[in-house]
Amino acid sequence: MLLFTLAGKVPLVGFFDRAKAVFGLQKDSPTPGSGPAPRAERSDGRQNKAGRPPLPEVSGAASATIEDVLVARAAGSFDEARAILAAIDKGQGLRTVLRAAAALEARDEDEVTTLLPLVRKDSPAWQLRLQVAAALENGPGREDLVARGVKLGAPAWSIAWLRALSSNDDEQRAGLVDLLFEDAALARTVAARDLGFADIKVDNDAIRRYTAFAHGRDVIRRFGAAQVVALLARVDGGSP
Amino acid sequence: MSRPLLSLYRLDRNKLQEVSAQLRDLLARDDRSGLSALLGLGEELARRLAAERWAVGLMLRPDEDAQASPIFASLRRVVKRAALEHVWTSESPALEGRLRAYDVLREEQDIAEAIDRLLDAVRLPWFLQRPGGTGGWLDDDQRETLAQRMEALGPALPDEINAFVEALGGMDGAALVHDRL
Repeated sequence: MLLFTLAGKVPLVGFFDRAKAVFGLQKDSPTPGSGPAPRAERSDGRQNKAGRPPLPEVSGAASATIEDVLVARAAGSFDEARAILAAIDKGQGLRTVLRAAAALEARDEDEVTTLLPLVRKDSPAWQLRLQVAAALENGPGREDLVARGVKLGAPAWSIAWLRALSSNDDEQRAGLVDLLFEDAALARTVAARDLGFADIKVDNDAIRRYTAFAHGRDVIRRFGAAQVVALLARVDGGSP
Repeated sequence: MSRPLLSLYRLDRNKLQEVSAQLRDLLARDDRSGLSALLGLGEELARRLAAERWAVGLMLRPDEDAQASPIFASLRRVVKRAALEHVWTSESPALEGRLRAYDVLREEQDIAEAIDRLLDAVRLPWFLQRPGGTGGWLDDDQRETLAQRMEALGPALPDEINAFVEALGGMDGAALVHDRL
């Protein structure tokens, strides 16, 4: 694994330096013989329509994770984050969504156009809308996403969960009651994990469902929900 | 520790839905006094309910929680009184195991599926589910069909199952099975 090879040779170098080496973002060329060289820019040196130099293409970066993307973004290294996303994207799921959102944020229309059909195929379609809604504060944007999720077949428990996460006390309580009657195991888990009820135990029957939904919500929140909202406006609005 | 015995109840589905809707409404409005009245709570339990941030918080606690346990017991008592009528209790602790695993029953797919539904606690409302407990229900048609299909296998079935079939076929309406009500 290239990351480990580099780490082994230069033990004091930090993650970002190693990542930069892997993704070809360093000024210096990689040391010959230190592992498969990353594929740098397009071989023809073409620029995209906006005149933007293409992101470096990389190989052998399978050990990078979404966490690395979030850390890079938090440090303000947006191009680096995009490069990691490009390397770890498998053409479906949350990684593709984030990659497309990051491309939209960077106004990279070529990449957005390429990725939009994949985001449209994301299944179940309601889940992403509700995960983004859950990452937003109360307001019209959140309500609009919930409405779109409902239209796309969001199950009652998912709507109840979202209501239970509301910052409005009455709404939160009503959502928790709905969730109790729709899916009691999930209600206990949400109460314990999301709402901080100390005397309620996480229910093991619901933990898989909980983590599948909550992971996406938490990642989107850290990534920047506004960017994914903008992406979904393109996806659902059907604009080119 | 003795194994619990399965009991059979006649289920009034309309009444169960009525109680369930009432409970849901009271919890959503956080009407503690209404809830205390519905559950017939004494002064001490009503005070306990009133001390919670929300009544629903108490309902989400584990079945064995010292604060919530007597309130769950009251809730089940109210539901039983309103919507369940006891029909029969097995004398054999082996009945559940027989129903779940007896090969003559398992070889008949429709029978096996109906039995599994009858013993699937996930299909019960949350307040009738108990940790480690067995429970489930069938509507009137499903109950009657299952009883007839099992009755036809009677000579090949052990006594505890035949006693269950007799009770299941001898009742009317929807059936609910539970071992901890």
